Amino acid sequence: MRHILSATIFAASLAVSAGVQAQVPAGYPADYGKIVDAAKKEGKVVIYSTTDAVSANPLVKDFETLYPGVKVEYSDLNSTELYNRFIAESASNNGTGDVIWSSAMDLQVKLVADGLALTYPSPEIKALPKWAVWKDSAYGTTYEPIAFVYNKRLVPEADVPKDHAALLKLLETKPDAYKGKITAYDPERSGVGYLFFNEDIKNFPPSWDLFKAMGKVQTKFYTSAGAMMERVTSGEHTIAYGIFGSYGLARSKKDPNLGIVLPSDFTMVTSRVAFISKNAKNPNAAKLFLDYMLSKRGQEVVAKADLYTLRDDIDSDASIKAVTKLIGDKARPVPIDETLLETLDQTKRLAFLSKWQKAKKGE
Amino acid sequence: MPIVPIVAYRFLVLGLTTLAVAMPLSLVVYQSFLTAPFFDPSAHTSFAAYSFVFQDDDFWQAFWTTLTICTGMVTIAVPLGALLAFLMVRTDVPGKRYLEPLLLIPIFVSAVVIAFGYVVAVGPVGIFSTLAKDLLGFVPWNLYSLFSLIVIAGLTHVPHVYLYSAAALRGLSTDLEEAARVSGATPFQVAVNVSLPMILPAILFAGVLVFFLGFELFGLPLVLGDPQDVLVLSTYLYKLTNKLGVPSYQLMAVVVVVIIAVTAPLVFTQRLLLRQAQRYVSVRGKGMKSKPLPLHSWRWFAFAAIILWLIVTVAAPLFGITLRSFVVTWGEGVKLLDVLTLDHYRELLEYPNVIRGIVNTFGIGVIGGAIAVACYTAIALAVHRWNSGWTRLVDYIVMVPRAMPGLIAGLALLWVFLFVPFLSPLRSTMVSIWLAYTIVWLAYGMRLVSGTLLQVGPELEEAARVSGASDLRVKRDVTLPLIKYGMLASWLLIFLIFVREYSTGIYLLGPGTEVIGSLLVSLWGTGAIDLVSALSVVNVVMIGAGLAVAIRLGVRLHG
Repeated sequence: MRHILSATIFAASLAVSAGVQAQVPAGYPADYGKIVDAAKKEGKVVIYSTTDAVSANPLVKDFETLYPGVKVEYSDLNSTELYNRFIAESASNNGTGDVIWSSAMDLQVKLVADGLALTYPSPEIKALPKWAVWKDSAYGTTYEPIAFVYNKRLVPEADVPKDHAALLKLLETKPDAYKGKITAYDPERSGVGYLFFNEDIKNFPPSWDLFKAMGKVQTKFYTSAGAMMERVTSGEHTIAYGIFGSYGLARSKKDPNLGIVLPSDFTMVTSRVAFISKNAKNPNAAKLFLDYMLSKRGQEVVAKADLYTLRDDIDSDASIKAVTKLIGDKARPVPIDETLLETLDQTKRLAFLSKWQKAKKGE
Repeated sequence: MPIVPIVAYRFLVLGLTTLAVAMPLSLVVYQSFLTAPFFDPSAHTSFAAYSFVFQDDDFWQAFWTTLTICTGMVTIAVPLGALLAFLMVRTDVPGKRYLEPLLLIPIFVSAVVIAFGYVVAVGPVGIFSTLAKDLLGFVPWNLYSLFSLIVIAGLTHVPHVYLYSAAALRGLSTDLEEAARVSGATPFQVAVNVSLPMILPAILFAGVLVFFLGFELFGLPLVLGDPQDVLVLSTYLYKLTNKLGVPSYQLMAVVVVVIIAVTAPLVFTQRLLLRQAQRYVSVRGKGMKSKPLPLHSWRWFAFAAIILWLIVTVAAPLFGITLRSFVVTWGEGVKLLDVLTLDHYRELLEYPNVIRGIVNTFGIGVIGGAIAVACYTAIALAVHRWNSGWTRLVDYIVMVPRAMPGLIAGLALLWVFLFVPFLSPLRSTMVSIWLAYTIVWLAYGMRLVSGTLLQVGPELEEAARVSGASDLRVKRDVTLPLIKYGMLASWLLIFLIFVREYSTGIYLLGPGTEVIGSLLVSLWGTGAIDLVSALSVVNVVMIGAGLAVAIRLGVRLHG
């Protein structure tokens, strides 16, 4: 029995590898086969990413099935470490990640602006939203709504805020019930938090009132989404403001006590940005991986991993379609372009932070 | 000509040590005076980074908080650790054989794990907090206050002091203590007036090291300081990055230079104190085994005190993290029986990098640890009985890496591996991790080895030399065998430290160089708490077993 089985697998894998060598994915340029062959010669692709290996694992495995002979070496790092390591390695020209894939959109755009990315127009561009492609170098790979996450056991149904205004009202009318119970990213210590709060200001005029109200109820600010969600499920806090919907969705599938709200006035949408390193040692394998990640097949895996696909031709509860169904046209994707560099402007940052420190005290 | 080989040996060791420490250090110092990363062509020298940091209120706040924490830690850990060593080595406290491995747990569990265990156990809605609330109507503690942070940091560093003091006490003959005892001193008086003063060098070393460890405390404030925004220098680095939007090498370098500037005078003070080391020589060319000191009615009181400390420092957080690894969720209003699961452990097995991490971690502890101890011993022997200004230099050199936060030391070593041509092929192998760990823990291992060396009286070596042995032969045939036990203890300690280390490997983490500690930090950051808890438990169980074997072996070798 085992022999028959392994013989079948062997035959199947032969068929697959033979098939891929000749075959170019539908709609791709005819000479794409050359890239595939060159990638196989390179034999591997090195990926630096902020997406944890657990979530990325299905993507890596499926890619290796699709292109046997190209191994994926996957490293997950936090965004600061990734940035520090990548610039040092790029400068030493001693080998670095081939594909750089990070949720720190502003830092990614800076790296591209600093000329550290390879210009490569992916054959998948047509299928992607316009805001998700910049300079044929930086590509958005996910469509992650920023949500309110709350503890269903401890937050009464009537209190669950449906939008930003409702949250502001809740904090103003019931400050005692929610004292110390709200949590959010810390814009002083976390780049993600800084980006989120500044996008809020653009989209929600009374944002500073909301921040002050959060300050008054002694909101606890954290630097990691994991820490926040763990404390929301435990009841130490009950509502988390501004959490990646992807983390919330994955967690709520394991723990039914976790509720997710996509605010109905506007929902910010972020995307993990990927580019190919200019100094890539395996540029062809990198191209394959990037194209795969953006392809329908790759994006289906992205959706399955709850990372939210940005292609509109995929049905899933983690997709553009599902988000649109919930909030209609209220999604506000953060465009991947030079406007993100403004968030890195030091004068603006210091101005925001000093205003923030007052708001945190409720002033 | 016996003189030439020993001199050659000394300068060879000295040169290698200096090189290993100076490369990353000089890069950091140089970086602090630049306006951009040192490899950036636009970088030029300036004091801009210094003036930015010194004008930042947050820096000063973090600085004073760090000093407060360090002082608090030393105040708690040094007396408790020294007393603990006395109880364990000299007295008849019950169950010593079983207590010994337990005492060391706080050292080898990564601080991130301990901190998170505390959140589950005694956080605002933790298991014991809810219990206390049911009984008393309120929670009598606040885990996130600065005070709690100091107490936890102090209590978890007791074993560091214990290990140094115990190693020193073991090398000490008991005749003076017995004399005191015969003259009617109580066990406590013996400890405070006789035993502990005799191992003062070891205690001082430990105190300074605990102070250093306080400076680079990272895991505890990362988790426990997060909600209240208690800022220490290592977490200030995070905030600093965010102020500018882009990570800034030069500002991080400035903070590290400040840390070194604070710790260097401490090393100087310590060095002055140690000039008197000869006064403490106590292993003479005689000595015999003696019976432990009877505590009589205090016996069970001492036992209870140790157990209480163990419950607070070890049992509570480990219970927390273990519980977390078996449940889907926890907290207010959750019936734990309804949410039990084994899924987190099954998940672990699905990730090849996690499996590799476990294997690598064990390898770096056992093999890497042994090689590191060999290196430390080589350095310690080189400066042993060397009346020269060079020994002072070595003392400073070995202390320096300890003053750098592990995270930064790891980054500096990444630079070294990137820009030194013959080293670059080793970057993505465990060699890079080993070198980083060995350098970062240089002070730690060195002090243990040389603390043992201090106990070796010169007359044994002189006897050998008079009989015609060369200097190197004396070291090999007399000194080394005498410090065998100290080396074994060092290996054990280094094994624990290497296996637990979490911050140094972060920048060197990649396929093939995964270690559990760095994996824990990266998983924690991305929110995979299920895996973090399961991996932590695997780590603790794995090392616990290894430790039990080592202790057995060690005890037998000694007896």
